Amino acid sequence: MAKARCGRILGEDTYIEEEDTTTLYFINNLRAYQAVLAALKALDQDICHDGCSLPSTVNKVIKRLGKLKNDLKASDVAAKEKESLLSKINSFLADANRLPQDTSQTCRKSAGECKIGPGCFATGTLSLIDITEPKAPKI
Amino acid sequence: MQTEVLNNQVQGLNIVLGALQAATGEICKNCIGLEGAKTKVGKMVKKLGMDLDAASISCEKTKADLQARIDSLSKAAEELKVAEECECQKTAGNCKLGEMCFINAEIDLMKLVK
Repeated sequence: MAKARCGRILGEDTYIEEEDTTTLYFINNLRAYQAVLAALKALDQDICHDGCSLPSTVNKVIKRLGKLKNDLKASDVAAKEKESLLSKINSFLADANRLPQDTSQTCRKSAGECKIGPGCFATGTLSLIDITEPKAPKI
Repeated sequence: MQTEVLNNQVQGLNIVLGALQAATGEICKNCIGLEGAKTKVGKMVKKLGMDLDAASISCEKTKADLQARIDSLSKAAEELKVAEECECQKTAGNCKLGEMCFINAEIDLMKLVK
């Protein structure tokens, strides 16, 4: 069956067979994590570096990537694609692990430094994952 | 107050540009979504520069720091690599994300700034 291109993750084009929604689920999630990690790296250069929301979000990303990895391992995604996607998850996990994870620091709003309003850039970046479709397959 | 507003905008645009830079390595590089976002962010940064010029900020150092950050954002926006000929990657059959669009969601991060 012919394969169609459906994204580029870490500089490598990704392809799926038509109606292979399980593989597409993992690819689209990784496309989202690519954007989320870029935004979190930008945040790490901001006052968020000294706060607690960025580390909390990083911990969530690490946890979610870990779950995605386990789900991918347990899925019926073809072996070659599975191996390729797992290496990308490992790369994102390594990236995430280089970001702050100590949540004991004071929230920059509480410290009086962050004045963006009720929202939060760190938690807001997670919305990029929530917009992906298809939803998680039953594994 | 003026400094605070400008600073919040700078913070927001810094994150948006970080995410958009990642999108240039994606299929979004050939997408009108990213092409439009580049124009939009470029205009936002330009407006920010004009707002800073018009602001009555007494501390010269604060003003100079903000100007330097805006200049850096302007450079980052200009350097976003977009293909010469773009088309929506959903229409082209390459982006199968669903209803939503990463680029629009990244621009929407600016809505967090009140």
